[in-house]
Amino acid sequence: MSKKLIIFLTLLIPVLTGIAVFVTPELSQKVGIAPPETVYKQSDETSNIEKPCSNEHPDWRPAQLIDGVAIEEAPSCEPDNPYNVAASVKGTNNVSMATLMQTDLSDDALIMGDDLDNDGDPDVIHIKLEVIELNGSSPDGDFLINTYDIGPGIQPGLWVFAPKSRGMALKNFNSMVANPLLRAPSPTIRVEQGDKVYITLENTHYLPHTIHLHGVDHPWQTSKGEDNDGMEEHPVFPGENHVYEIQPRHSGTMFYHCHVQTAQHFMMGLSGMFVVEENQPNNWVQTFNIGAGQVRHPSVAVKKAYSQEYDLFYQAIDKKLAQIIQGANDPRLIAKRMSRDYNMTESFENYFLLNGHSFPYTLRDSVIVAADKENIKLRIVNAQRSSVALHFHGHKATVTAYDGVDQPAGLQLTRDVFDIAPAQRIDLSLKTQNDGLNSYGPGLWMFHDHVATGTTTDGMEPGGNMAILAYKPLIDEQGMPKMHEEFLNEVFSKDYYGKKQAVWNTGDFAHLLGEAGLFAPDYLRIIVFGLATGLIIGLLVLITLVYKRKQQ
Amino acid sequence: MKRLLMLSLLMLGVIGPASAAMSHDGMLMDEKGMIMNANSDRLPADCPKISENVDINIHAGRKHALKFNGKMFAFDQQEWNVKPCAKINITFTNDDQIRHQLMIHGLPGYLYPQGMFHLELYGAGELKASLIVPSTKKTYLVHCELTQHMEKGMKAQLKVDGGDGDLPSIPGISKPVKADVYEVDWSQMTVAVLLICVLLGAAVPLFVMRNK
Repeated sequence: MSKKLIIFLTLLIPVLTGIAVFVTPELSQKVGIAPPETVYKQSDETSNIEKPCSNEHPDWRPAQLIDGVAIEEAPSCEPDNPYNVAASVKGTNNVSMATLMQTDLSDDALIMGDDLDNDGDPDVIHIKLEVIELNGSSPDGDFLINTYDIGPGIQPGLWVFAPKSRGMALKNFNSMVANPLLRAPSPTIRVEQGDKVYITLENTHYLPHTIHLHGVDHPWQTSKGEDNDGMEEHPVFPGENHVYEIQPRHSGTMFYHCHVQTAQHFMMGLSGMFVVEENQPNNWVQTFNIGAGQVRHPSVAVKKAYSQEYDLFYQAIDKKLAQIIQGANDPRLIAKRMSRDYNMTESFENYFLLNGHSFPYTLRDSVIVAADKENIKLRIVNAQRSSVALHFHGHKATVTAYDGVDQPAGLQLTRDVFDIAPAQRIDLSLKTQNDGLNSYGPGLWMFHDHVATGTTTDGMEPGGNMAILAYKPLIDEQGMPKMHEEFLNEVFSKDYYGKKQAVWNTGDFAHLLGEAGLFAPDYLRIIVFGLATGLIIGLLVLITLVYKRKQQ
Repeated sequence: MKRLLMLSLLMLGVIGPASAAMSHDGMLMDEKGMIMNANSDRLPADCPKISENVDINIHAGRKHALKFNGKMFAFDQQEWNVKPCAKINITFTNDDQIRHQLMIHGLPGYLYPQGMFHLELYGAGELKASLIVPSTKKTYLVHCELTQHMEKGMKAQLKVDGGDGDLPSIPGISKPVKADVYEVDWSQMTVAVLLICVLLGAAVPLFVMRNK
C-alpha cells in the first residue's frame, strides 16, 4: 500500500469523526413547526377494561328475612352476602344448613351460647379467626395465588384475619381468585356489652401472630393465667391456637390487631374494627361485618337513634413491604426480609384503601346510599400509618365519640374535616337534612381523606380511598352512580392504573389532551452516522495492521 | 360444589340445624370437619374389580415439616404408590390445632364430582374415608388447599401404577418451578481457593513450554 494512500486514509478519520458527531442520532428531539400527532393508545387487550359493575348477585340487594334475621337493603353494586349476615347474627350453630351452605363459613366459626341475663339474646359468644394470605407466592409458577384485587390490576400481598372458613380457599377450580370470604379488611367484629366473648386465633399462617384488643375492655390475663393482651412476647405460632377472653363493660368503637412485629404485620393488613354495642334486650348483633361497610343488621341501640349504620375502615399499604411475600416461598427468607431487611422508617404508603378497596372499586361496595332527612351512624377507624383528614363533600357531620367514648353534648363538634390519628376511632352522625349546614342537598357527594396522598393509587389520581355518598335517585338499579358512564369506563381499567393511558383521552378533548406521540426516527441521519462510525473503526483496524506489517 | 351439596340436601329433605351431622353419598359434615366424595364401593368404569385394599395413614401438621428445610406445613409422607383399581382406605390425622385438608385432584368426575376427593379437619382429630382409583397410570396431586399451606410444603403425590411423572415442588422429591434464591457462603477460604486455582491455571502453559 502506497504511503500516500495511508496518509489519505489517516486524514480521513478526523473528517469522518466530524461527520459522525454532526449527525449523531438523538433519543429526544426539539420540535420544529409540527409537533408529533396525538396517539389514541387504547389497550389491545380488552381484558384490561372492566365492567364497572358485574352485577353478580342482584338478589342480595333487597331487604330480606333469612332464618328469621331481618337484613336491611343494600343497593350497592356488590352488596354483602345476606347469608353471611344471617350466620353472623344467629351464629353458625343456629342457622339452617341451607343458609350455612350459602356461605364459606365453617360450622364452628361462630357459636352462640347461653342467654346469661335472660334478655332474649345470646351472651356467650365463641368466635374463631384464621390468618389468611392474599396475593401470595407459589413455588409452582410465576403467578400469585388467592388473588384479591384492591383496584383494577392491583394485587399487593396482604394478610387478613378472616372468620374460620371451610372448603376451598379459591373461588373455583379454574381460577386463582380467593373465595369471597377471604378479603381485606379483616372483618369488623361486633359483640354486645357484657357478653362473655371467647376469640380463638387459629394461626393458619406460616409466621407467628397475635390478637391485641386495642381499646376493648379485657383483663391482662385469661382465667387460666395465660396471655390475654396479644403482646409480642406471647406469639401464637403456626399451627397453634390461642383463646382470648373478654367481657367488655364499656361500649364503643374499638380496634384489634396483630402485635407481633407490629409495624409490619399491622401494615400487611392484620387489623380490624371491634365494636362493643350497648346492652339492650333482644339485641342480636351482627358479629362479623365481612369487608366492613354497611351494617345490614344494626343493633337495637343504633336502630333507635339512626336510620343506617356503616363501618369505614381506612388502611394503607407500602408496596415494597407487600412485595416481600411475593418474592420467596421459604418462610425463613420471608421472615428475614420482612423483619430485618425491610426498614419501616424508610417506608412509604403507596395504596390507600377504604374497606379493602381503592377507587374505583370503592364505588362497588363502599358507597353510602342515603335518602333525604336521614341520620346515618358512621364508625371510622384509621389503620393507616399516617393520619387521615376525612372530608365529606356537601355535608358537615358531627362527631359523637372518640376512641369509643361518647363526647359530652357540648363537645360534639360539627365539621367538614375530621383529623383521625393512626389507630384512632371516631363515631360520626351524618344528617342528610337539606338545610345548608348538615347537607347541601341531594348529590353524588365524594368523601375521602384530604391528605393529598390519600386519593391516589401509587400516585395515580383519582384512586385511594375516594368513595361516594350517593342520594338514592342518583344511583342506578345496580347501585352505580348515574351520569358518569364515560368516566367510569375510563377508570375501570388496568391500563389507567398501570399509567399506560392518558388521563383525558376521551370525548372532544381526546385530541387536545391525549397522549403526545413520538417523533419518527430520522433514518437518513441514522444511516449516515452508522456508515461513518463503521468506516472509522474499519480504517483504524486497517492502519494498525499495515503499520504492524511494515515494522516487521 | 355448593349447588350440588344443596341439591343433595334438598333431595334428602334434611335441612335443619347445622350442628347436626349431615350425611349423604357424596358428603358428610359436622362441627369437626367434613368428608366429600368418599367412595368405598362404586368401581371406576375401567376396573372390573378392586385389585388391592390399601390402608394408608396420613398425618398432617407443622411437625412433619421439621425434616425439610424452608417449609412450614407438611404431610408425614410425600408419596404413596398403589396398583391400578386399588381401594385406598385413608385415615387422615390432623396433628395441629388449626384446620387442615387432604384433597386429591384429577379423579374421574362421574365418581368424584369436580374430580376431587376431599377430607377436612377443623382442628386436631381424625377422619376415615375410602376411594377407588381408576386403572390409568397417573400421578394425582394430594394437598391442603388452605391459603399458603401447599405453597409452604403441604403437598404430596399419589401414584397409580407407578404414576406418570413427579409433580413439581413436592418436599424432598421434586424441584420447584419458581425457585427461591439463596446466597452462597463465600468466605476468605473460598476466595483463596479461587485465586490459587487461577494461578495454577496460568502456570500450566509455562510449565508445558519449559518441558518441551
